[in-house]
Amino acid sequence: MNPFTPIIKGLKITLDHLFKKPVTRQYPTERPKVSPRFRGLHALNMSHDKAKCVACYLCPTVCPAKCITVEAAEDANHDKYAAVYEIDMIRCIFCGYCVEACPVDAIRMTGEFELANYRREDFIYTKERLLEKK
Amino acid sequence: MVNLTIDNRQVTAPRNATIYEAAKINGIHIPILCHDNKLKPFGACRMCLVEVEQMKGRQIPACTTPVTEGMIVTTSTPDIIKARKLVLELLLLNHPLDCPVCDKGGDCDLQNLSYDYKISSNRFHDQKFQHKIDYNNPLIERDMNRCILCGKCVRICDEIVSFGALTFIGRGIETKIGCEFDEALNCEFCGSCVSVCPVGALLARPFKFKARFWAMEKKRSICGYCGTGCNLTLGVKEGKVLTTVYDENQGFHRGQLCVRGRFGYQFINNEKRLKKPLIRKNGALVECGWDEALQLAASKIRNGSETAAIATPRLTNEEFFLFRKLMKGIGSENFDHAAGYAHKALTSGFARSLGSAASTAMVNDIQKSDMLLVIKTDSYETHPVIGFEINIAVKDKGVKLNIVSDKNGKLGKLPGARTFVHLPGSETLLINALCSSVIKQKLVSSTAASLPDFKEYAKGIEAFSPEKAASLCGISPEEINSLAADFASSKKAMILFPTGVAYPGHDSELATALANLAILAGKVEGEGCGLLCLPEKNNSQGAVDTGFYPTGKGLDALSVFDAIEDGRIKTLFLAGENPVVSYPDEARIKRALEKLDFLVLTTLFPTETAEYADLVLPASSYAEKEGTFTSAGGHVQYFAPVIPKAGDSRTDFEIISSLIKLTGGEAASNPSEIFAEIASTLDGYAGMTYENLGENGAFTAVKTRPALILPQTQAPALRKPEEFSLVTGALLYHNGTLSQFGEGPMHVSPESYAEISRKDASRLGIKENDTITLTSDSGSMQLAARVSLRIPEGVVFIPNHFSANPVNAIWSGKPVTPVALSR
Repeated sequence: MNPFTPIIKGLKITLDHLFKKPVTRQYPTERPKVSPRFRGLHALNMSHDKAKCVACYLCPTVCPAKCITVEAAEDANHDKYAAVYEIDMIRCIFCGYCVEACPVDAIRMTGEFELANYRREDFIYTKERLLEKK
Repeated sequence: MVNLTIDNRQVTAPRNATIYEAAKINGIHIPILCHDNKLKPFGACRMCLVEVEQMKGRQIPACTTPVTEGMIVTTSTPDIIKARKLVLELLLLNHPLDCPVCDKGGDCDLQNLSYDYKISSNRFHDQKFQHKIDYNNPLIERDMNRCILCGKCVRICDEIVSFGALTFIGRGIETKIGCEFDEALNCEFCGSCVSVCPVGALLARPFKFKARFWAMEKKRSICGYCGTGCNLTLGVKEGKVLTTVYDENQGFHRGQLCVRGRFGYQFINNEKRLKKPLIRKNGALVECGWDEALQLAASKIRNGSETAAIATPRLTNEEFFLFRKLMKGIGSENFDHAAGYAHKALTSGFARSLGSAASTAMVNDIQKSDMLLVIKTDSYETHPVIGFEINIAVKDKGVKLNIVSDKNGKLGKLPGARTFVHLPGSETLLINALCSSVIKQKLVSSTAASLPDFKEYAKGIEAFSPEKAASLCGISPEEINSLAADFASSKKAMILFPTGVAYPGHDSELATALANLAILAGKVEGEGCGLLCLPEKNNSQGAVDTGFYPTGKGLDALSVFDAIEDGRIKTLFLAGENPVVSYPDEARIKRALEKLDFLVLTTLFPTETAEYADLVLPASSYAEKEGTFTSAGGHVQYFAPVIPKAGDSRTDFEIISSLIKLTGGEAASNPSEIFAEIASTLDGYAGMTYENLGENGAFTAVKTRPALILPQTQAPALRKPEEFSLVTGALLYHNGTLSQFGEGPMHVSPESYAEISRKDASRLGIKENDTITLTSDSGSMQLAARVSLRIPEGVVFIPNHFSANPVNAIWSGKPVTPVALSR
């Protein structure tokens, strides 16, 4: 075979791509549009300005990574609410079982996927942080 | 036994069994909502429908139908399943589906059955109930919207607790479970109704929203309050005891608990628990290391002749045994427990009259007896679960109940029960009069008459003829004679009496008098007969068995305080005791403790006594250690730790073991070795090991050698007309001073009070909760008044549990203290 053929073939591919739309996404300037079924960071749903969560403990029970901590408490009306609701994002495997188990539709998963952080404690998402994601 | 066929299996069952019980014995499961093995069959839920071939294929409830010979039962056919599904659909029609917020979720019979029978939709439609939820008491929440009307709470409150707080109200769809006049629940708060509720209609508020059922480990233990020896299942999560879990198959009491057993567990994880040893430096207690603390303690106790030890009867048998070894090792005979007098009924009374310091009856005898003679109606308050046994015996088994007491009480309200209210402090006199009456009425058993000391005794007891005793004890001679005849002529009869620091009158003399009565009537031994001493604390009997009381030259607990004031005792080792609050005469105890050179205290909490200590060692509760307790009637039970030790605390076993080593002795380092030593040295425990004790425990062997001894009796001092007789005692909600650290008991009974009769109250113009001043020879105190119908005129009752305003400010340890009472 002509020793130059592979080089020309290669250059041809390069030349082709010069005139094509790029395959890679220009992250972070260009942001992906995630599917509605994407399983990213959790969010706690609200209803009437209150978290819907009733602290039934089904999500920590079903969680295979054991990354959810719930502590229930009694409010002034003797109702149950989650005084503590924390998800440890280092442990979370984004399986979505918590969403599936929730009997009151209190938790969902958002498209948020940028979860990197500098400190370990920043990976603990408290109830307040999870509620912010409206 | 009856032979029958259940689901094509040939099985046998007892003649009086129902189909449900027959199936259960043979491992066949029939779904049910309204059954509990302690309660009588009721047939409320209609879930246990089965078909019996002989009954033309009708569906009949298994829980109310007795088995008959040759019965052919089918527990599950498509028709039965259809019927059960219908039952569930109808129950779920009004039951709110709030399982996510219901604490019963995961342990709910209705939830489990709905799952088993795949009830995912309902063919019927109706509104849910809108009953108001009862949050009025701190322990039991009643949400009647969730109720399925199985009637278990109503029945347990009636059949076993005998309180009758709950009942069915209304008709048809309007039916609900309510209290009197449909008002808030106000009862003993034993929580039995909560334990049997198959749904979340009745819930324990101290445990509300604390954890889900499935997240807890269920661990067995033995209750650490009174001497009944109830088995507990503790719900443990993350090293904390969160609740008690009901198990209908546990112990002689079949899971039944009292208010402190069920709701008093919080002291285990109380925040006030001591976590580090404390040493007194420059007048203040500061934290220190264990090595320093133990070295100091060892150096101080080394001089045995000037050292004394007093322990709480809450230690384990192994700890008592080791503690005795330590004291003997350092050359001290001065060791004792329970104020030195609370155990005298056993160690002195029973020992001389019956030949061994142990009860001759067991708790199981109560229901097998024909007649019970209960000394003090307080037996219900001191040992509530034994009180439940008495309730069942009287109401279900037709056992006669006679009570001799200085006040009325709940036991006296049982059907047919007779209460003989005597003047305070005249118990022994009255029992002597009973003995005398038995002899006079010629009801003496042949064995008693043949005893060598019978003649001498009979002569001595003549001085206590019912006629003479009547005026001193306030009971007519006819009543004394009839009670004596009743006791002696019953085929089987049993005597029960509580002992404890609050009952100084229940001493060796009373025990001897009672033993005489049993001997004369021939009721010392045998099924349903005998004497049952109900010791105050969980291991009072064990402390006696392991010999942790002085013999020979040794000083008893109260003499130790005298000796401290004389300067003969310089170092005191208190294990778990809180004498400043619980022992008689507060001022004297404090004076002695101040005079001590060195006080070392092992304790769970920074108690009032800790303020006098030079060294405070944090000890472990029963939930954190391993060992055995011996309860009333000699029931030895093993328990293992259920949670890790609090902070840096150590068990008394470890502390004593280290001290033995530091004072030059040798000691085994684990409880099982010590228990083996106990089994080889104490006759009653022969052959016992942790393995063979298992879950059911074992009973100590008791050898009796009856002897008739005339008790020393003093006629109770006649009080002046303007004075009151102060008697101390126990409350249903508390045991010792420990229960003050349990939230449950403190919710219901937070503070001390003085209970007086209604007549005295109206005479003196005192109303409920008025502050009254009580003055005795030893001091004066103010308490809130409680006016009641149960107290006789001239008597004032004060409980002995409370650190705030303790009764020992005016109580000097006599059975009856004369006090002046003013507004």
